[in-house]
Amino acid sequence: MVKPFIKSLINRREFIGTTAAAGAGLLLTSCSNESKPAPAAKKSALSAINVGLVGYGMEGGVLSESLMNLMNTGDIKVVALCDIWDYARKKGKNTYKANGFEVNDYENYEDMLSKEKDLQAVIVAVPDFWHAPITNACLQAGLHVYCEKMMSNTLDGARSMVKTMRDTGKLLQIGHQRRSNPRYLFTLNRLLHQANFCGRLTAAQAQWNRAVAEDFGYPKHSELSADKLAKYGYKDMHQFRNWRWFKGLGGGPLSDLGAHQIDIFNWWLGVTAKSVVASGGLDYYKNHDWYDNAMVIYEFPLAEGVARAFYQVQTTTSAGGGYFEMFMGDEGTIKMSEDPSLCAIYREARATAVSWDDLVAKNYVRVKETPAADSAKVDVRETAQLQQYEIPVFFNKPPHQPHLENFFNAIRGTAKLNCPADEAFRSEFIIHKANEAIAAEKKLAITPEDTEA
Amino acid sequence: MNVPNDNKNCETCNCDYTLAFLVLRLWLAVRAILTGLEKYGAYQSVAMPVIDPTTGQPDSSGVMINVNIKHYALANYSGIPAALKDKFAYEPLLPKFAVTLFDHVLGPAFILSGIMLLLGLGTRLSLFVQGLIYVSLTVGLILIGRDDGISWLGIHVALVAFALILARHNKLALLKKW
Repeated sequence: MVKPFIKSLINRREFIGTTAAAGAGLLLTSCSNESKPAPAAKKSALSAINVGLVGYGMEGGVLSESLMNLMNTGDIKVVALCDIWDYARKKGKNTYKANGFEVNDYENYEDMLSKEKDLQAVIVAVPDFWHAPITNACLQAGLHVYCEKMMSNTLDGARSMVKTMRDTGKLLQIGHQRRSNPRYLFTLNRLLHQANFCGRLTAAQAQWNRAVAEDFGYPKHSELSADKLAKYGYKDMHQFRNWRWFKGLGGGPLSDLGAHQIDIFNWWLGVTAKSVVASGGLDYYKNHDWYDNAMVIYEFPLAEGVARAFYQVQTTTSAGGGYFEMFMGDEGTIKMSEDPSLCAIYREARATAVSWDDLVAKNYVRVKETPAADSAKVDVRETAQLQQYEIPVFFNKPPHQPHLENFFNAIRGTAKLNCPADEAFRSEFIIHKANEAIAAEKKLAITPEDTEA
Repeated sequence: MNVPNDNKNCETCNCDYTLAFLVLRLWLAVRAILTGLEKYGAYQSVAMPVIDPTTGQPDSSGVMINVNIKHYALANYSGIPAALKDKFAYEPLLPKFAVTLFDHVLGPAFILSGIMLLLGLGTRLSLFVQGLIYVSLTVGLILIGRDDGISWLGIHVALVAFALILARHNKLALLKKW
């Protein structure tokens, strides 16, 4: 059933594309974060990559903004869009049309795969429990896949995606878009690694605190039929629109909001957690399955010693500074966020190893004026006020665009994926494990073998 | 023997005065021209790639940084700084029309009087105009209680007055009249 389909997809265009990509890949050295990305001029002679978008919900809409930017440059062409919900599908088709792009629309990915014979890549932006089936089918159909995080609502599902990626040899990028965010790359490479401004990292902290929000509704005339809802795995329209908060469909706030940030722990600390302890509960919302709040502590075995990382997600309060990831060392601290206004660098009074004047001269950091410290100490154990710096760099693209560009450049063979599925699985594992730790009410050990798919 | 010496001393003396006036004239001219030109200047934030100092090339991450670049244009013109303009708006002794008029003429008056002084086109007249400008600015600062600024302007007025005293030693000028 699958083989003839794959054969039909491996047409002349795909052959040229694959050959060009393989050739370019041979020329590439390691594309770690330290390596230079291939300059734009090195793009292969491939014409626009034909892309199918599966799912036009909130995330599909956000990704489409970047996809249309790339369509305007001629890099890619979104030729097909599918969504099981007529309302979303029409909205998506009309949005593309309003921007001058015609797309074919389908109810589901199977229809799309059977009718679109010239696709090269698929973007998967559907509820988590559909990620593995759709991604696996697309990879087996010979397509490269960009799949939104979480990889799956189950670890088995996520493992199957990594296995299919390896079996098919196709690219599978997971949508942890911060991994391609130029500000994150710059700060990690230039400040944390090169300047070593944190000194020895001893702790990390991240959070996403969000105010109470009403569950998503839907226009009355747009309801899916009970049969269709059942066919695609939903109990009712409320569950369909709010799948993130239901077991069996999504992974709750730790998965929806925490996944990005816990992935940053793994990425920036360079190792995977060795244990997790967590507390959380469903204490506020009455019509959800998943915990509405959680507090998690991971232990990361760094070469210099253990660093503990605290993560909290709250869906009932936006207090506490919004969303950020903070890495704390004995010489300095960096606070990163997708929101540049929340970023900062703090220098400990004892820090002498780093030439901060040099960093300022290079435009890597900028001194932030802070009010004079109150000379009266409340407690003699207080340390001096931290000197605050800003990270003045920015990029002028939508947040998801660099990650999509990385994916398409990898298809062309001019870059290496910044978040391939096997790498993402390490984060996937410890995120799932945090939910498990809440249920178990005890500290859970994580071995390196656990996190390898 | 004394007479020739006296004459020689007197010639040297006149030459000193001439040079002293020339230096003062140049200083006041440059001060006025550039002060007027600055009123057409503005900083514009321009996004530029962060440069990797080791390679001299844009940083591989692709990040940008805003760099403030100064440029001059007629559209940038602002005679009275915005912060002062706000204060003058609540000053009953400064009618709005007068502030607006002063705002419009201040920059061109500085530049014009500065160029005249530089070239020696009506040296005394241009010095007198500059003196009036500094006096008028002093009035505004007195009303809003900026004593530090008043002191600075007082020094300018003194220099203009001193220049007027030395004006008889004006030599290098396109038009000696006025």
